[in-house]
Amino acid sequence: MITHPFVYRAPTSVAEAIEILAETPGISRVIGGGTWVVPECNRDESRPGVLVDLRRAGLGGIDVVGDVVCVGATATYSALMSSPDVARHLPLLAAMASGITGGRQIQSQGTVGGSVVAARPSSDAPAAVAALDATLVIAGPDGERRVTGTGMFPDASTSCLREGEILTRLEFAVRPAARWGYYKLKRSASSWPIATAACVLGEQPHLVLGGVSATPVHVDLGPVLARRPLTPDTIEETVRRAADSVSTPWEDELAPATYRAAVAGPVARRALEMAAHQEES
Amino acid sequence: MSTNEQVHSISTRLSLNLDGTDRTADVDPRSLLVEALRDDFGVTAPKIGCATGDCGACTSRVDGQITKTCLRLAVSAEGSQIVTTQGLAEDGQLDVVQQAFWDEQAFQCGFCLSGMIFAASELLAENPDPSDQDIRWAISGNLCRCTGYEAIVAAVRTAAVRQREIPQRG
Ligand SMILES: Cc1cc2nc3c(=O)[nH]c(=O)nc-3n(C[C@@H](O)[C@@H](O)[C@H](O)COP(=O)(O)OP(=O)(O)OC[C@H]3O[C@@H](n4cnc5c(N)ncnc54)[C@H](O)[C@@H]3O)c2cc1C
Ligand code: FES
Ligand code: FES
Repeated sequence: MITHPFVYRAPTSVAEAIEILAETPGISRVIGGGTWVVPECNRDESRPGVLVDLRRAGLGGIDVVGDVVCVGATATYSALMSSPDVARHLPLLAAMASGITGGRQIQSQGTVGGSVVAARPSSDAPAAVAALDATLVIAGPDGERRVTGTGMFPDASTSCLREGEILTRLEFAVRPAARWGYYKLKRSASSWPIATAACVLGEQPHLVLGGVSATPVHVDLGPVLARRPLTPDTIEETVRRAADSVSTPWEDELAPATYRAAVAGPVARRALEMAAHQEES
Repeated sequence: MSTNEQVHSISTRLSLNLDGTDRTADVDPRSLLVEALRDDFGVTAPKIGCATGDCGACTSRVDGQITKTCLRLAVSAEGSQIVTTQGLAEDGQLDVVQQAFWDEQAFQCGFCLSGMIFAASELLAENPDPSDQDIRWAISGNLCRCTGYEAIVAAVRTAAVRQREIPQRG
C-alpha cells in the first residue's frame, strides 16, 4: 500500500495532461508504464500529490509519417518488438527491446518514453535512441519543442524535460537500410545492463555507449567508418576510440568505475562485430 | 477538477471483470492492484513477493496482457478484464499448462505459480515448439525459491507437446 495520499488522474489527451500539470506545479508526477514510478511511491521514495497516468492519452502508437518513424512515448517494449515499421526501419530498437529483462510482463508495461525520461545510466533505451539520432518531441504549457543529440540526456537520472512538460513521442528519420549492432553486458540473464553499445553504420555512422558514464557517450568516429567497410583495422581503430572516450566512468552497485572503463572497448567491439556479420550476410 | 480524480481518504468503487464475473468492491485508492485483488476482491492466487516488479508472483492477465499487478495502481484498472490463475480452469479441468505443472511436480509452495503459468502460456501462444533456451528466457522474469527451475522447464516442455497434440485445448 502506498502510504502517502495522492490524487489519481488519467487524462485522455496531451492537452488535458498539460493542463493538470499546470494546475499542480511541483507536486505531480507522470506515469508512463509505471514500472519505475509505482514501486518508487510504494517504497515511499517519491511522494507526489498527483499521479498523472498517460495510459489513456493516446501516446502508445507507432506510425510512419512521410520519411519519419514516430514512436509514441508510451509505446511499450513489446510494441517495439511486434511493430513491422520498427522491424523494417529501426531493427536496433527492436533488438534493444527484446533484451529488456523482467519478463514479458515488464516488456509489455515498461515504455520507451519512461526509460528516456528516467535517464538512468544503467538502462538500455538511452544509448539506443541516441545512436539512432532520435528527436524527442516534448509538449508543455508553451507548446511543442524538440530536443536532439546530447541535449536529450543532460545528466544521470536527469531528463531534458522542464516542469510541466511531457514527452509525447520520439521521431526517427527513415534512412536507407543500414547495418547496426547492439550489445548489452550484464551480470546474469535477468540483470540490468552494466554497459551497452549501439552502433548504426551507413552515411552518418553513430556509435554510442550506454551505462559506462553518467550519460550516453557518443564515440567520435572521425573519418574511420564513414563510407568504409568494417575491416579488422577499422574495428580496431574504432574500439580504441570507444575506450578513450570514457573520461568519467560511471560507478554503482552493478560495477565499479574501473570495470566500466575496462569493458567499454570490448562492448563496442561486440556491437561492431555484430554489424560486420550483417555486412557479410 | 474533473470527475476522474480519486482522493485518498475516501475509499473508491472499483469495478472489474474478474475471472469471468463482473465485480465491484470498495478499495483504498492508494492500493496496488494486487492488494485490491487479494484484500478487497478476495482472490488470493496472485501473491506479493517483492512489490518491486522483480519476482512475478503477482502476475495476472489484465486486458489480455500478462501483468505484474504490483506495478499497477488499483484505480488504473477500472473497467478492466482480469484473469488470475484461479480463473484458468474450465468445468473443473485445469488448463493444459496447469495440468503439466501438476504432472511434472513443477511447484512446491506455489508462490511463484501465477508468474510461471502465465509466462508459460504466453510463450506457448506465440511459439508452440520452444527450445529449452526459449523456455528459460520466457520464465526469466519470475523467481522460484523452491524448485531450482528444472521441473518448471520440464513442465513447459510437456505442456508444449500436449498442446501440439490437441491444439483445440490450448
Ligand atoms: C524487473 C524489472 C526489470 C527491468 N529490466 C530493465 C532492463 O533490462 N533494462 C532497462 O533499461 N530497464 C529495465 N527496467 C526498468 C524499466 O522500469 C524501464 O526500462 C521502463 O522502460 C520505464 O518505463 P515506464 O514507462 O514503466 O516508466 P515510469 O515508471 O512510468 O516512469 C519513469 C519516469 O519517467 C517519467 N515519465 C514516464 N513517461 C513520461 C512521459 N511520457 N513524459 C514525461 N515523463 C514521463 C515518470 O514520471 C518517471 O519519472 C526493469 C524494471 C523492472 C521492474
Ligand atoms: S510482487 Fe509483483 S513482481 Fe514481485
Ligand atoms: S514453488 Fe515455491 S517459489 Fe516456486
